[in-house]
Amino acid sequence: MRSHTGLRALVAPGYPLLLLCLLAATRPDPAEGDPTDPTFTSLPVREEMMAKYSNLSLKSCNISVTEKSNVSVEENVILEKPSHVELKCVYTATKDLNLMNVTWKKDDEPLETTGDFNTTKMGNTLTSQYRFIVFNSKQLGKYSCVFGEKELRGTFNIHVPKAHGKKKSLIAYVGDSTVLKCVCQDCLPLNWTWYMGNETAQVPIDAHSNEKYIINGSHANETRLKIKHLLEEDGGSYWCRATFQLGESEEQNELVVLSFLVPLKPFLAILAEVILLVAIILLCEVYTHKKKNDPDAGKEFEQIEQLKSDDSNGIENNVPRYRKTDSADQ
Amino acid sequence: MTKITRVSLASPPDGGWGWMIVAGCFLVTICTRAVTRCISIFFVEFQTYFAQDYSQTAWIHSIVDCMTMLCAPLGSVVSNQLSCQAGIMLGGLLASTGFILGSFATSLKHLYLSLGVLTGLGFALCYSPAIAMVGKYFSRRKALAYGIAMSGSGIGTFILAPVVQLLIEQFSWRGALLILGGFVLNLCVCGALMRPITLKEDRSVPEKNHNRESQREDCKQASPYSPLTKECTETRLCCSLQQEYGFLLMSDFVVLAVSVLFMAYGCSPLFVYLVPYALSVGVSHHQAAFLMSILGVIDIVGNITFGWLTDRRCLKNYRYVCYLFAVALDGLCYLCLPMLQTFPLLVPFSCTFGYFDGAYVTLIPVVTAEIVGTTSLSSALGVVYFLHAVPYLVSPPIAGWLVDTTGSYTAAFLLCGFAMIFSSILLGFVRIVKRMKRTQVPFPVKDSDPKLQLWTNGSVAYSVARELDQKDEEPLPKARSGCNLT
Repeated sequence: MRSHTGLRALVAPGYPLLLLCLLAATRPDPAEGDPTDPTFTSLPVREEMMAKYSNLSLKSCNISVTEKSNVSVEENVILEKPSHVELKCVYTATKDLNLMNVTWKKDDEPLETTGDFNTTKMGNTLTSQYRFIVFNSKQLGKYSCVFGEKELRGTFNIHVPKAHGKKKSLIAYVGDSTVLKCVCQDCLPLNWTWYMGNETAQVPIDAHSNEKYIINGSHANETRLKIKHLLEEDGGSYWCRATFQLGESEEQNELVVLSFLVPLKPFLAILAEVILLVAIILLCEVYTHKKKNDPDAGKEFEQIEQLKSDDSNGIENNVPRYRKTDSADQ
Repeated sequence: MTKITRVSLASPPDGGWGWMIVAGCFLVTICTRAVTRCISIFFVEFQTYFAQDYSQTAWIHSIVDCMTMLCAPLGSVVSNQLSCQAGIMLGGLLASTGFILGSFATSLKHLYLSLGVLTGLGFALCYSPAIAMVGKYFSRRKALAYGIAMSGSGIGTFILAPVVQLLIEQFSWRGALLILGGFVLNLCVCGALMRPITLKEDRSVPEKNHNRESQREDCKQASPYSPLTKECTETRLCCSLQQEYGFLLMSDFVVLAVSVLFMAYGCSPLFVYLVPYALSVGVSHHQAAFLMSILGVIDIVGNITFGWLTDRRCLKNYRYVCYLFAVALDGLCYLCLPMLQTFPLLVPFSCTFGYFDGAYVTLIPVVTAEIVGTTSLSSALGVVYFLHAVPYLVSPPIAGWLVDTTGSYTAAFLLCGFAMIFSSILLGFVRIVKRMKRTQVPFPVKDSDPKLQLWTNGSVAYSVARELDQKDEEPLPKARSGCNLT
């Protein structure tokens, strides 16, 4: 519905503009069918556009540039739907501003479009403001204000919100199921769509015809693609595409499908190590036990001698108490 | 001759194969406590896969921890009835089976049963018997041995956490659980190392007749007092269990049990709330995580160095006092915590609390052994760790409730601090009261002199003296102590 309204809005101001152009005898080459191109503006046309888009939200963004800085400043402007956009650049100079001029560019091309430019000088500060309406995807891109011969610039990057998926590969197993997830923070896409394949060929995933796939949350700020009964061929790239009024945003998820034999190998290696160690320890214990048992007669005397040595240690430790015992007996 | 042989047979080796026992117990501590801590690393994966929230997945860790502590007495019984080797090997197999079944889980309930209950039960069969076995092999260097053994918890967590994270990235949580199940099988190796002491086996052979006679007498004496005993079909098993768990009626052990409840209540919330508290007073995320790292590392240092310190000759007789000191200092740290509002102040707090937290963990088995003796150490440790379970489960939620209702951490931390200080004061108070009683009654001491002279081993004499004290307190224990003397 909104898109239709937008189209009507696009068409409506065209005819009055053409009529005005025809009436103006001084313009020999009027633009045909593209109301955004001509730089000629008049109050009635502007007022009409303002009336059409009066319910749009306003997005403001500021960038400060100083004479000392040599690095361009970039700012992100995120738009989901058609909006009023107000871009403002503030330039601060250490000397005079007399020879300073400002130019606006879009994607490094001179800006020739309908909009409201406003440049003011106050003291050492030069402020340039550009106000316009973004209503289609062609208007997305980088807008720059360029100051002076040094071409110091501030850049506004206008784009739709970006979808976020899992940065690392997702690992799953044959026969299992897995969940791929994409999130759009602080935004609500009109629609989510899942694709599989590489960058040259993307095949849409139809969850209705294929029971293998289940898609949840096609109209929420996040979406989940559940893939059941995984096969090794199911591994690869999966793209989620978020659709907005002004454009689309894509994110790639990598899926790796492993056989259960892959983690089984280190498990079996550890199991073999455990069995080996237990066997060695138990064999050592049995061996030391046999040593004690084999020479029954001969080592009995040796054991007695060992006990005697232990006894001597005991006696040494407890001599005073033994004497007390003697005194008690007496 | 018989007296002399008793002396030599009763003394622990204090070395030799005992260090292999310490190594085995160290590995048991890694495979049980450290692995339990690392299970929390799986929570994010479980949340994504099963589409559940944090509280649902956090139950797994709680169930493992609670089962390990609740079933500690069962571990003691199994190791006493079968053997320590068989008990720990069985526990290793159970824990490994729990991990392997968990890797095939299709729902969270599946994980509760396999990874929670089964693995926790396996850990319970391994943990307290291994610690008790260290106590049987060491006497003079007992605290150092326990320090090395118990430090496996901290060192294991330090090493295993990045390894588990790497396993999850390489094999997902299913493969990681399977490989952890293989790692936990090393408990069987630790079990094989737990060689029973040969000296005690020799000692048991000539005393078989005495054991039979004493068991019969116990049966006769017990039957008129409790009708339940008459209904027992397996009189021998009941009598042996009564003998094993006789320490439960000792006043010293009851006091220790009560103090352990308060100490366990106090010690666990800090590990849960230190990071949230640090963030609430303005410390950054990195610095808050750094505080936890300090706590973990100093905990290991406390395990080993405090154990070594209390084995020195000058401190050996005061291990009990050192335990009280360590618990009291941790309580004081809690009381000071609300006043520490900046990172430079929280760093020495983490060092102090971590050091003495490691210290008293090391001394719990030592103090328990002093009170109940070496023969009942396995069962007593099972009971002590059993008593940890409920405070561990209850304490963090209570602290959380206090934080929510009062809007600050002060009440929660003060309550924990007072609980630990009360635990320390209770033990100290009872010890002082006993000393006063001994000084007040010089005559029974003189009477006990002839009997003391008969026993040449220090620990045995100490236990006899304690039994004599019990004679003065209650008429019933007289018969039991008489039987023990025979």
